[in-house]
Amino acid sequence: MKEKKKEGVLDILKKVLFVDILKGLSVTVKYNVSRSVTIRYPDEEKWIPYQRFRGAHTLNKTEDGKELCVACELCVKACPTKCITVVPEEDDTGRGIADRVPKVWKVDLVRCLFCGYCEDACPTTAVRLGREYELACFSRDDAVREKERLLKPQEVPEGFEGGVVVSAKFERTKEGIRVKPDIWKPKDKNWWKKV
Amino acid sequence: MTEAVIEVAIIFIKVVVLGFILFSLPLPLTWIERKIAGHIQVRLGPFRVGPHGILQPFADMVKMLFKEDVIPEQADRFLFRIAPIISMVPVFMVFVAIPFGESWTIPFINKEVTLYVADMNVGLLYILAISGVAVYGIILGGWASNSKYALLGGLRSSAQMISYEVALTFACIGVVMLASSLNLIDIVKTQTGGLTNWNVFYLPVGPLWFIIFFIAGLAEINRIPFDLPEDEGTLAAGFHVEYSGIRFAYFMLAEYIAMVSMSVLAVVLFFGGWDDPTGLGFLPPIVWFLLKVGFFIYLFMWIRFTLPRYRYDQLMSIGWKILIPLSLLNILVTGWMII
Repeated sequence: MKEKKKEGVLDILKKVLFVDILKGLSVTVKYNVSRSVTIRYPDEEKWIPYQRFRGAHTLNKTEDGKELCVACELCVKACPTKCITVVPEEDDTGRGIADRVPKVWKVDLVRCLFCGYCEDACPTTAVRLGREYELACFSRDDAVREKERLLKPQEVPEGFEGGVVVSAKFERTKEGIRVKPDIWKPKDKNWWKKV
Repeated sequence: MTEAVIEVAIIFIKVVVLGFILFSLPLPLTWIERKIAGHIQVRLGPFRVGPHGILQPFADMVKMLFKEDVIPEQADRFLFRIAPIISMVPVFMVFVAIPFGESWTIPFINKEVTLYVADMNVGLLYILAISGVAVYGIILGGWASNSKYALLGGLRSSAQMISYEVALTFACIGVVMLASSLNLIDIVKTQTGGLTNWNVFYLPVGPLWFIIFFIAGLAEINRIPFDLPEDEGTLAAGFHVEYSGIRFAYFMLAEYIAMVSMSVLAVVLFFGGWDDPTGLGFLPPIVWFLLKVGFFIYLFMWIRFTLPRYRYDQLMSIGWKILIPLSLLNILVTGWMII
């Protein structure tokens, strides 16, 4: 037999006056009038990750537009999933910072596990894992990113601190859909951390 | 002759208008309920269909209409079909006897129209009797589905109704004794003239009447914390687990209208109906009535997203051991007070 705890007068009074239920109701009504923590992605807002975030790859250039990659293939060697392919070629037109430049530089994002070893291996800081995280696509071939695409400047520049929710716009084009962030319009979504 | 024709025509128009309003009420109510749920849980609720998701109920309705209407192979086909209708019709019938206000003069033709369909002198009895019929829809739906979850839901529903209908009725008896009439319009009329005349403030028994009525009402319309017939945690969806498409929508419709009728009843019996608590008369009576009803609908939703569900044995012991003895005692005290 389970021993029944004896109820004091105070407990009975509490039950009769619905004290606990009223406490609960007051909590929920407070939340009902408080602000919501929902990020309205993709319609109006978007989360910009911190700088340490490891998203899709990007290839950097120097300030005067030369490719930083020297096709040393160290990233290929470092890659644990063998998802990077680099084919070097000789080119002295000044396309890259050296005469040796990549003819092909592609990464298969389906195989990639975003460990960041390629970043660490790169002697010229050419390859970087950026902050793009919307990687959904319609076929496996779409997930393979070629050099031309990787060389395009990133949507969120590397200097931007991140870790904020910014206002964004949902765009539907022929190439597909995308959520374009406006990084200079941050939205305060951290109010609940201070409560 | 023409007088009679006009009277019949007016009643007909009233019924059509009321029916239309009741049929379209669940649309905003589902939206409001989901919005309140969202905001209480610090979310936003539906947001994508229309501004602030206001068109979400229409999208849901279209979806419901186009869903396949599945009838299980082993089900009792006739009862399975008729059960949603049995649960839906009585909750509409309840509104025949409910007064929304005293009268309203139509502009331009100066014709005075009463704001109720039928002026029954047994109004309250009629409402309690009819709303008790609605439970047959739930029981039959649960039984006809030939599924153990649905059957358990139906059984729970019947047991719950038996224990709470009594307390609900006893809670109303005090009001009837005070007004010495079962007519809802008379009951409202005895409460006119400010806050202190409302039945809920008829001290010391008034608040108790109301609390018993409210708890029993929650159980009667299967709202959380007493929604054991459709207990998601243990019975999947309870009595309507096998229903889909528009038949399921009928059950939902019945549930929302029952919630509205319970709110209306609470307002009429305990909160003075269309009586203006300020006594200043800057708002028409019907607006006061709707405000009060709206508050109760919000209260039902508020409670739903605050409290967890009671266990089945707790439900039974609350009903039989607390509410019924308390309501009997209450009748006794009320009798003394009136004498």
